[in-house]
Amino acid sequence: MIRLQNIEKVYRTDTVETLAINGINLDIAKGEFLSIMGPSGCGKSTLLNIMGLLDEPSKGNIQIDSQDISSYSDQKLAKFRNEKLGFIFQSYHLINDLQVLDNVELPLLYRNSSAKERKRLATEALEKVGLSNRLKHFPTQLSGGQRQRVAIARAIVGNPQIILADEPTGNLDSAMGNEIMDILINLNQNEGTTIVMVTHDENMAHKTHRLVRLFDGSQVQ
Amino acid sequence: MMFRHLFKLIWNKRKQNFLFLSEILVSFMVIFAVFSFLTFYYQNYSKPLGFDYKKVWSISYDNGLLTKNRDSLNIFYDNLYKSLKAMPQIEEVTYTGANFPYSNSTMSTGLNSNGKKFNPVNSYVVGADYQKVWNIKLVAGRWFLPEDAVTKNKNFIINETLKKQMFGEGDAIGKLIGDYDDKEKMKIIGVVQDIKANGDFWPAGNAMFTRLDTGYFRNNSHILVKVRDGADATFESQLYKFMTNTMKNSVEIQHLSEMRDAKNEVTIIPMVIFIIIASFLIINVALGLFGVLWYNINKRRSEIGLRRAIGASGSSVSLQLVMEAMILATMSLMVGCFFAIQFPLLSVFNIPASVYIVAMLLSILFIYLLVFACSLYPGKQAAGIHPAIALHEE
Repeated sequence: MIRLQNIEKVYRTDTVETLAINGINLDIAKGEFLSIMGPSGCGKSTLLNIMGLLDEPSKGNIQIDSQDISSYSDQKLAKFRNEKLGFIFQSYHLINDLQVLDNVELPLLYRNSSAKERKRLATEALEKVGLSNRLKHFPTQLSGGQRQRVAIARAIVGNPQIILADEPTGNLDSAMGNEIMDILINLNQNEGTTIVMVTHDENMAHKTHRLVRLFDGSQVQ
Repeated sequence: MMFRHLFKLIWNKRKQNFLFLSEILVSFMVIFAVFSFLTFYYQNYSKPLGFDYKKVWSISYDNGLLTKNRDSLNIFYDNLYKSLKAMPQIEEVTYTGANFPYSNSTMSTGLNSNGKKFNPVNSYVVGADYQKVWNIKLVAGRWFLPEDAVTKNKNFIINETLKKQMFGEGDAIGKLIGDYDDKEKMKIIGVVQDIKANGDFWPAGNAMFTRLDTGYFRNNSHILVKVRDGADATFESQLYKFMTNTMKNSVEIQHLSEMRDAKNEVTIIPMVIFIIIASFLIINVALGLFGVLWYNINKRRSEIGLRRAIGASGSSVSLQLVMEAMILATMSLMVGCFFAIQFPLLSVFNIPASVYIVAMLLSILFIYLLVFACSLYPGKQAAGIHPAIALHEE
């Protein structure tokens, strides 16, 4: 599903060159639930951003769903992200000025779907995460766990094949974290969604199919 | 669909957008005022002048020392007219009241027709050759003849504007009209083309012309002469000497072309000052809008990053921000138009409704262009926000 070949990422300033990712080779199969662990600054999020086509590698090749996306234009990449990928972030990244339903509808706005269709799909996604009773609430009226569930609903509303989760339980207590983890496992098992999750939590990582450890930009496990 | 989404977003953030909305509203009102003036002036400027001023000179004199005897006064002015007319450099001569075109005098009255009062009406007291001096075009009827001095009803001539107000498309010639108090009836014998006596930028307004009768000479102090091409400064000096010797008093000769320039400057100079002040204000507003948009984008970096992540391209982010600014402008313009539309509805300052409507449309266009221009660069900057960085800033 995702193939990373010899991925390198170098951040350059006038005086300093920092190697964030160093020669990563990784194959993630369809339906796999993979977690990435490592100390802060080891390149976990950078790797996830490269997989999510939010950042370009300095070197190497990336294929998603057998497509080489290196030559894709900005427009084509945006469409690809919209259709194939779903994102979950540690800090949720919900738009506080929009109601829960509108937040979940967001990815569908960049497709040609009708208002009625958007509402139906967003309501369904919110039902899946157990928030069908919070459609008209604003994010600031929700708890951290509820906000992350809204973010998951937003990630799955477009029915993507891959979900990239950057420390989805990082801001939550263990009970809430487990709830979120259960939702992700459920998505993986029942919907067959490929999930790549960056985490600091060993317990969460051990619930996934495979664990990849990074250290100083290199894969150590 | 994006439009509805953006409108919802803006509506939910209306308090944060208050500054932006207020700035646009204030600029719209200022621009509306500027465009109202400009449209009013342009509409008047584009209408024909209605007369020819280029070779006309005015001679102002003080007749206070002349005899009070009416007959000898008439003979004196008749001789003066003949002497002036005999000069080879002079084509036409006429006596006139003080309120000839481009003078700073006005004389107005009111008229009554079919129970309706027409007020004010510029009243011009004119000599027999006034039409020839100015080359005023007759639209209907005729100019004054010597026999008009002895008619039962006083004969007079009106301009097109007054004719339209009184009779619409109907005929005016021969109609009897009441004077200011509606005590005396006067007969319309002619309709002339409108003359823009107050400069190129002001409307002709209602005007009537009455014949200068001999009794008026006692108070009269202005002669207009139309000179031929060869009339130069030497001739002007000769004319001045002649008039001074004849009137035995102070005389002033002015060229109507110079008087026209002076009259137009009275309109142009304040307008230019107003436009300069408004331009500075608009520059400030533009910088303000630019700043507010820039600030908003920096506050919304994570939202922009998120939108990029879930499927927005750089250009669609840019378009979204421009659209948001345009929607905000539309909201302000709706409030602004509510106030602006009161001007034509209430006929404020007696200015034609078309002036306000055109000014309103131009102001709307201007504001949209201003907002569009101010939002382009911040929109472009937003498109350049790197999603991976923006999403990790919080």
